[in-house]
Amino acid sequence: MTIRSVTPDAVRLLSFEDESRLFMRLRATLAWETVRSMLTDARLRLTLVVVLSGLFWAALYGLFIEGFSFLDALHAEVISLLFNAFFSSLMVMLVFSTGILVYSGMYCSTEARLLLTLPVRAETIHAHKFREALWFSSWGFVLLGSPILTAYGVVRHAEWPYFVLLLPFMISFVIIPASVGSICCMALVAWMTRLRMHALTIGVTIAAVAAIWLGWTMFSQTKVDAMSAAWFERTFARLAVTEQKLFPSWWLSSGLIEAARTDRGGGIAGQALFESLTFLAILVANALALRLLAGWLARVAYRKGFSQLSGEMPARRQRRLRWFDQALGHAGFATGRPLRLLLVKDLRLFRRDISQWSQFVIFFGLLGLYFVNLRAFNYNNSYASMIGYLNLAVVGLILSTFTTRFVYPMISLEGRRFWILGLLPVHRDQIVWSKFLFSFVGGLLPCCLLVLLSDSMLGLPWRLIAQHELCCLMLCMGLSGIAVGLGARMPDLRESSPSKISSGFGGTLSLVISSLFIMSVVVVAAVPTHLFLISNTMGSGVVAPNGILAWAGGPWGATAGVILVVILGLTATFVPLVLGLRAFRRLEV
Amino acid sequence: MIEFDHVTRTYGPKTAVSDLTLAIPRGELFALLGPNGAGKTTTIRMLVGLLHPSRGAVRVCGHDLVKDPRAAHLHMGYVPDEPCLYDKLTGREFLWFIADMFGMPRRLATSRIDREIEHFELGEFADDLAESYSLGMKQRLVFAASLLHDPDVLVLDEPMVGLDPRSVRIVKDLLSARTREGMTVFMSTHTLAMAEEMADRVGIMVRGQLRFLGTIAELREQMSLESTTLEHLYLEVTSSRSRES
Repeated sequence: MTIRSVTPDAVRLLSFEDESRLFMRLRATLAWETVRSMLTDARLRLTLVVVLSGLFWAALYGLFIEGFSFLDALHAEVISLLFNAFFSSLMVMLVFSTGILVYSGMYCSTEARLLLTLPVRAETIHAHKFREALWFSSWGFVLLGSPILTAYGVVRHAEWPYFVLLLPFMISFVIIPASVGSICCMALVAWMTRLRMHALTIGVTIAAVAAIWLGWTMFSQTKVDAMSAAWFERTFARLAVTEQKLFPSWWLSSGLIEAARTDRGGGIAGQALFESLTFLAILVANALALRLLAGWLARVAYRKGFSQLSGEMPARRQRRLRWFDQALGHAGFATGRPLRLLLVKDLRLFRRDISQWSQFVIFFGLLGLYFVNLRAFNYNNSYASMIGYLNLAVVGLILSTFTTRFVYPMISLEGRRFWILGLLPVHRDQIVWSKFLFSFVGGLLPCCLLVLLSDSMLGLPWRLIAQHELCCLMLCMGLSGIAVGLGARMPDLRESSPSKISSGFGGTLSLVISSLFIMSVVVVAAVPTHLFLISNTMGSGVVAPNGILAWAGGPWGATAGVILVVILGLTATFVPLVLGLRAFRRLEV
Repeated sequence: MIEFDHVTRTYGPKTAVSDLTLAIPRGELFALLGPNGAGKTTTIRMLVGLLHPSRGAVRVCGHDLVKDPRAAHLHMGYVPDEPCLYDKLTGREFLWFIADMFGMPRRLATSRIDREIEHFELGEFADDLAESYSLGMKQRLVFAASLLHDPDVLVLDEPMVGLDPRSVRIVKDLLSARTREGMTVFMSTHTLAMAEEMADRVGIMVRGQLRFLGTIAELREQMSLESTTLEHLYLEVTSSRSRES
């Protein structure tokens, strides 16, 4: 029996449209407030994001104008193949990324817990969180895809309908894999709660194996002349697997290619435009159908899945690496024990935080895969040396994103638990030093191995390898010093989210200084070597014999370069650390 | 108003709540007590629809929380132990969001929002972003949001955490007044003094089972302890029963 309400007329259940409007309004208010607070509190970050995105867009646009012009002249028929390969790989990535984002938004967030206790439909909550996940997972596609597709239209002299249709094509396309990701996520949680991690692992493994296989088969032929006709033929034959007429990536690429087609006079080709609109209609229809399916699934499975997930018993942690922690804690002199115990604590936290080590493994793993495939190409000495330095810079840049994202917030997060450490017989300096050692030692091993792998694959001489390893050592030290030092100098003790700490002013400054430091180290190390190699390969006449360039390209220049790298490394390490230590000693919590 | 009908909830092999049958009528303030791990949070989560019972049914105003959660939620307000707000909304904007979610007419929503801002003394910071609030301020705002639509049933999970003494007094007075008007309150708490002062009936859970249900006087009678505090009685129930089980 339903009991009559105390205030029957004061409240009512909203219609689906009213709920949707309410959430759209909420989303708009939140977005506006976020932009407003960025404009007032994070101008540096906002400026950097806008400027770097603009530069990235322009660079990609320029690159693809050249690329499409080359292909248009030589291999015009392969555009479709390239589009299919590009869009199908994006499709797979979007399925996974949206699935993961929907999982964290719908099942692990405090917002979901709030919304599930309000009189709102499960499908509305899903739609709200789906939009959020779609935005986060697909902005990269828009940033990457728009310059490529615009460049294609420009090279093909496409008419205005092509450019008008770009956005509808892209939006309708991304909704399809994103919906598939959210459907898989909800189904896994509701009906395979315990097996969801296994299912995800299997899916990721299959995708990774497929990607590795494709990469390997394309580049593993011994010393193929890259960019030769034979190489192109073999590569395109392998990429043909992505040209499936039932894939949304095929509808998208075919639709865009048709939209870009012009008639003999250079005007709009009516038949091609009709074909293009047909493909767009197929994309839109499938996107809408999948949204409906996702909404229906949310209605029947979301609350059930949430309940099942909340009711899971936490797995008992297996402490396989306990022996390592104990050995580290007890190794060395007794005076260093507090520092080692802090290290063990950070190491345990790192191991148990899947978001940290999984990103570490993915980025360095992909880099390793790329380095392994370097052997497939033939290089001359100066080209190989240049690629070696660029690879060194890439390793440094990836490490700097980790130091900024994970190491920089460590002191701030420690500050929130300062009452624990503050009452222990540990000097504050030891806390800062433990963070530095953790970052330095943790980064050094994978980075040095990656640089060694890259240089070996490029066939560089041992002297260059040794120089690169020294640069790598300095980069690891300097980047750790910058992140820990600035983290201690500008801690944010009120914030509990590491991502918010790292995206504030201090984190952005740390990233900018880290990038400048990496560029300085690589340029200082690379210039003498490059000048030396140019003189050797192109003849001494290229560089004036008594000029500064000749000196820089000689043994003294190389020695000066190494000394400068060491000075840069030590400065980047100790200046921020000393500033951080001073500030942290004076810190009042 | 609130019915637990032979409700059992298991987590794998562990039974968190076992065959709970409980009915709480209109206008009663019920306090659920128990040691950590007794099943209080599971009970509260089933009551607000976040967890589904493994067996049995939970109903609010006659609406089953699994079959018809929206209709049940329309009659409920919920104050969780950890307040959840949108950092980038002001307190007033959050209250408007909740009022709109319950489909309250514009004029009524305006007056209710003003009323709750005044009750919980939120005026000073109602137009600041929630990210700048202290825990106590957040908790007061969540209380205000949960009472906006004058719910028939108010569910409170450790409601006094983070509140200063003045805010605690405000909440207590408000709960007394609202229960007199017919609102039912289901409260889980470790603050025995509050339960003793305010609850019409208490339930004591131990290891997923409701070991005692009744008034404090009945508890005293049952334990044959005439003039002792609830704390003493509670410790007697939980420790002796634990030993028995």
